[in-house]
Amino acid sequence: MRRASILGGTWLAVAFASLPAVAAPPPSDARGWLGEELPLPLAVRTPQDLAVKSAAEKQYLIFNLLAGGKLAWDAGDVASAATKWEALLKLRPLDPELERTIKPLAHEARARAGGQPAPPAAAAPAEAPSMPPPVAPLPAAALATVTVSGTVSGGGAQGPGGAVIWLKRANGETPRPSPARGKVITQVGKMFVPRVLVVPVGSKVAFRNDDPIFHNIFSLSKPNEFDTGLYKQGATYTETFRHPGAVQLLCNIHASMLGFVVVVDTPYYAEAEGSGAFAIKGVPPGDYELEIWHEAAAKPTIERVSVGAGGLRGLALRVGGDKRAPQFLPDKSGKPRQSHLGY
Amino acid sequence: MTARALLAVAIVCSGARAVAQAPASAPQDAEPEPINDSDGYTPPAEATQTFTVDGYIDVGFAKAQGNGTSFAPGDQTIPADYGVDTFAPAVNSRGDVASTNSNGRFVNGFLPRSAGIGGNASFLLNTLDVDLKYTPTTAPLMVFSRVQFLPRFTGSGDETRVYVEQAFGRLVPFDSQEFALSAGKFDSVFGIEYLDNEANIRTGVTPSLVARYTTGQSIGVKLFYRIQIEALQSAVSLNVAATNSGNFVEALQPPDASLTGEPVGAGRLGYELNTRGIQAKLGASGMTGPRNDQALQAAHQTAYGFDARVAVAGVYLNAEYVHVDEGEGGPKTTSLGEFPISSSFNARGGYLQLAYALPFSVGPLRKLTVYGRYDHRHAWFEGFTPITVDRFTGGLRLDLWESLILKAEYLDNRELAGAPTVANNVFTSSLVYSW
Repeated sequence: MRRASILGGTWLAVAFASLPAVAAPPPSDARGWLGEELPLPLAVRTPQDLAVKSAAEKQYLIFNLLAGGKLAWDAGDVASAATKWEALLKLRPLDPELERTIKPLAHEARARAGGQPAPPAAAAPAEAPSMPPPVAPLPAAALATVTVSGTVSGGGAQGPGGAVIWLKRANGETPRPSPARGKVITQVGKMFVPRVLVVPVGSKVAFRNDDPIFHNIFSLSKPNEFDTGLYKQGATYTETFRHPGAVQLLCNIHASMLGFVVVVDTPYYAEAEGSGAFAIKGVPPGDYELEIWHEAAAKPTIERVSVGAGGLRGLALRVGGDKRAPQFLPDKSGKPRQSHLGY
Repeated sequence: MTARALLAVAIVCSGARAVAQAPASAPQDAEPEPINDSDGYTPPAEATQTFTVDGYIDVGFAKAQGNGTSFAPGDQTIPADYGVDTFAPAVNSRGDVASTNSNGRFVNGFLPRSAGIGGNASFLLNTLDVDLKYTPTTAPLMVFSRVQFLPRFTGSGDETRVYVEQAFGRLVPFDSQEFALSAGKFDSVFGIEYLDNEANIRTGVTPSLVARYTTGQSIGVKLFYRIQIEALQSAVSLNVAATNSGNFVEALQPPDASLTGEPVGAGRLGYELNTRGIQAKLGASGMTGPRNDQALQAAHQTAYGFDARVAVAGVYLNAEYVHVDEGEGGPKTTSLGEFPISSSFNARGGYLQLAYALPFSVGPLRKLTVYGRYDHRHAWFEGFTPITVDRFTGGLRLDLWESLILKAEYLDNRELAGAPTVANNVFTSSLVYSW
């Protein structure tokens, strides 16, 4: 995957360089609009980092949909403009003034587009198709993968953040993913940070205690059950997750601690940010079964999607919020605990 | 050079650098990094749920043998003070009995609450429970209340009530210590049965024969401290309380408070073993203070006990022994009226419960648990014949979906000594829905 990325970068550079400066498109041209990739590559070390990242991505998403719609409008691509602005209007909360401004524009764009929602491929700002052909032939893999992105809504009172979205081939075998490396879940302030982490099967996750007290992390989620035993501040326990599925994380000492590792057996996955935005990169075009897990959903959302050569953007997905938080979390032996008792 | 050309150069350079560095940072046989790598998601603090409303409703169906009491028909034993406590066959999770009708015999007011169903097969509306919990994100504080609606339709001593079972605040002042300070009305600290004293927590339907001496709630302050011993995968804990009454349940012996103004002290010293294969908790408890129902300084109550909980491979063993002594007191007032004297009362008893959770789930069935318990109690009022009883309880519990529990059990109650044998076995069941 790294190789593909490098080649992609080179290809992009060559493509840009091959354009004479005088022939550069006007700023309003939507071609090469690169600002839709989420999540943002912001370092996350603390809950505050996460809060900043989440807020930044929300604003980033709003900006992208707002400006991307305008660029598409200016370029005459009214269908894309309508799709972006409609996606923007679905975001909550949304500045009422912004809503007032965009709503009529979205209606106008949709009307001009014939009143039908734009097909996913057309809704996306073109990547490869709108670019000039590369100077040199490229490996098929470099050209074959695209991005699937959109927003998840729902998730009940918790919101859509932490929804895990993944794709599996509808026809044929899904490639086996490479394990993730360097994944860490810390215990800070008697909480799991992050609360939800998605990893491919075979990944190792380190559990690091950053609290000045002991923790004892365990899971009863078969077949990924594990038990770290007691470990003190600064200590780390590493667990390899070999089976797909959602793994509930608990602490035997602190009855209110709850977290999740979602293990997927596909390389095509993403985790929704607080705004619900997500992007799955490196997806070969084709038909897929898209599945969404969320801790507040009693059942996963499953949809069939077709990914075209231009990718699939602006997907509006919905996940349930009908599963209430567990009233009592169990101890290691499976016995429910009342969190208001003891410590 | 235009900006576009600069960008092109930068991208080309970065690509070249990455290619050049690749062999050093990634060995040939190393797997590539997943392109969709994620740092995970943590909700912002303001999105964390700080106020929760939980609860349950417990309804049941029960049938007791005979007339629902343990008074043997025709028995004219002298003295006639049965001390109904010793005899009452429980039919629900609160320990309410089928009947306390003594048919005119003198009793001393030491009465449990009654479901009032006698020997009739009846549906029961046991408890409607609402728990409120507030945990602010800005302070190490928790505020908790448990309010229960108890509809009863049988009259004397069994009136419909809205009962504030618990209402307290808990502070954890030090980040680096497992130390908690609670104030308000809270659970007992004596023994272990209070830990699963609610219908939605308890394995079976009915409490043990000694639960009435250990699971009451009181008003006061409570301190919990625990220290972990990493090398032994163990912990030692201390839970102590100073409250306005002892640990007897309120249903048993109103008024539910010491009338002297002196607090009752109680505590439990516990040891925990928390390994991968085995979980064990052992404890020793004690209580001392003025009697719940007495204004007389000299009337004291003391208790001590030992408890054990062990969980291995889906098998749960709970065992507890309790030794209770209440000194003789002066007049007392109960829901049955005025009594000129409070008899001295003594009880020794315990139970052993085994439960096994079958390791499978089918459809809505999340867990199937079979359980059995043996209770034994020897109790007497000073000057009266000691009465020894025991009880075998066997039951089945089904956990359905995430929020429904169906339990059914049969209680074989036996009079071993000091009282005539009477048909007082009970079938009871319970359906608990949690929200």
